[in-house]
Amino acid sequence: MREINATVLENCAIAPEIYSLTFALEQPVRVRPGQFAMVGVDGFPLRRPIAICKAEGERVTLCYRLRGEGTRRLASRYSRGEKISVLLPLGNGFSVAEKEKRVALVGGGVGIFPLISVLREYAEQKEIYAYMGFRSRGDVCLQYELQRAKELTVATDDGSSGFCGTAVQAFMENVERVRPDVVLACGPTPMLRALKSAAAGRDFPVYASLEERMGCGVGACLVCVCALSDGSRARVCKDGPVFDLGEVIL
Amino acid sequence: MSDLGVTLCGVALKNPVIPASGTFGFGREFDELYDISVLGAVCTKGLTLEPRAGNPTPRIAESRGVILNAVGLQNPGVEHFIAHDLNWLKNKTRVIANVAGREIGDYAKMCARLDGLVDFIELNISCPNVKCGGMSLGVRPEDVENVTRVAKNALKRTPLLVKLSPNVESIAENARAAERGGADGLSLVNTFTGMTIDIERRRPVLANNTGGVSGAGIKPLAVRMVYEASHAVRIPVVGMGGITCAEDALEFMMAGATAVQVGTQNFTDALACPKIVAGLERWCASHGVEKLESVIGSAVLNGQRSLKC
Repeated sequence: MREINATVLENCAIAPEIYSLTFALEQPVRVRPGQFAMVGVDGFPLRRPIAICKAEGERVTLCYRLRGEGTRRLASRYSRGEKISVLLPLGNGFSVAEKEKRVALVGGGVGIFPLISVLREYAEQKEIYAYMGFRSRGDVCLQYELQRAKELTVATDDGSSGFCGTAVQAFMENVERVRPDVVLACGPTPMLRALKSAAAGRDFPVYASLEERMGCGVGACLVCVCALSDGSRARVCKDGPVFDLGEVIL
Repeated sequence: MSDLGVTLCGVALKNPVIPASGTFGFGREFDELYDISVLGAVCTKGLTLEPRAGNPTPRIAESRGVILNAVGLQNPGVEHFIAHDLNWLKNKTRVIANVAGREIGDYAKMCARLDGLVDFIELNISCPNVKCGGMSLGVRPEDVENVTRVAKNALKRTPLLVKLSPNVESIAENARAAERGGADGLSLVNTFTGMTIDIERRRPVLANNTGGVSGAGIKPLAVRMVYEASHAVRIPVVGMGGITCAEDALEFMMAGATAVQVGTQNFTDALACPKIVAGLERWCASHGVEKLESVIGSAVLNGQRSLKC
């Protein structure tokens, strides 16, 4: 991990309330799928933790939702050519074992973006079945990235595009046919809870990337902890953000 | 090249810049970003006799120019620190062990255990985020004096710093109380108790409801308190509260601080501490200051002999 003064190449809306930020580092960094960056926003004491969607050499893309003043400032303040302070790559990220050939991805909301980094890394070596949930047809974005999957199911809450329902429901309708060796997930906590209970007792592991308010982002301040079923606490930023879903208490 | 060295309670520090307790763990994570041996000292995460799980999440929130935290002293316990981190950290720089307890006897046990093993003990009697101990022992001057005396009596070799809460009636009186109790030095300020509310959910953002306010926005409050405390006692003071750059650190030193701690800015800028060290060097060079120590307490009041608070 390094703190880098990057140069913004592009920062634009790709869907309602969703922005895509691409910046250039002065030299390439190796990023594993599911790792994240802490992004400094001028005038705000805390950096924003944002999953890395794409990393190609020195070009890195993050996608984020406009949620509060900080992300709105990030969207309005940083245009092409501006300098932006980023700390990256952070966290453990997703990994797929050699023997795991059939991979299911279950993503909801901004949770689809870290899963795009998995598709980019593994689409050629693995059979990937992707279940991606959005609120509505107008929220669907980055389909050209999602189509790297062997099979892509888009789900919308209102049924305006693709499967009517959640990504978890779409996945569970197909689970017997797909028989995944491993499931990788990211999305809001209620989605992960639903996935955890739906996957309980199945013979595949589920790894999920968690979201939490963070302080330092590097594992020092113990702000972003989660509880594990063995009674211990783990740091989402350093020990995670990816955990075995069976081992975290949501 | 100016001399940035300072002497704190008889212990030489290569410079006065110290990451503050709770923002820096035991230094290992930040050492992946830069060599932490450039720092004057490291102040550890608050330690207790037994491991502690801390508060529920969210533990952090942001408001204009400040943050609020309610971590609640999560730590692996003093024995784990001694076994796994202390020797590594001592090889890097001076070590300040921040210690907390549930009751007064815990402070004595913690001090006895760490005596001679670390360069300083910092007595945490000002954490606003725990129910027992913490700030409850750090508000009334008689409690400050008492817990300081008990801690000091358990120490034979390591100097004792007492970390003062700003959530008190008179910082000068509490500073004098710690001095009477036998403190070798003071550090201040800990965080101000605050609250921020999510207006959509109509609930406090922090799971703990309240938290400690820190960051650039508290700096003038902290500078005033450091001035008052350092002029009320003979023992040295470590100043902190909203330091973001070398110029901020110099304000605290001119107000009377021998060294400074940097907390929240480590989150804003992971390289804040080494940048402050470099900034102090530049400032000394451009101002013809040969020894940084000479700026300590050098601020002169305008037209009066003491602060009217």
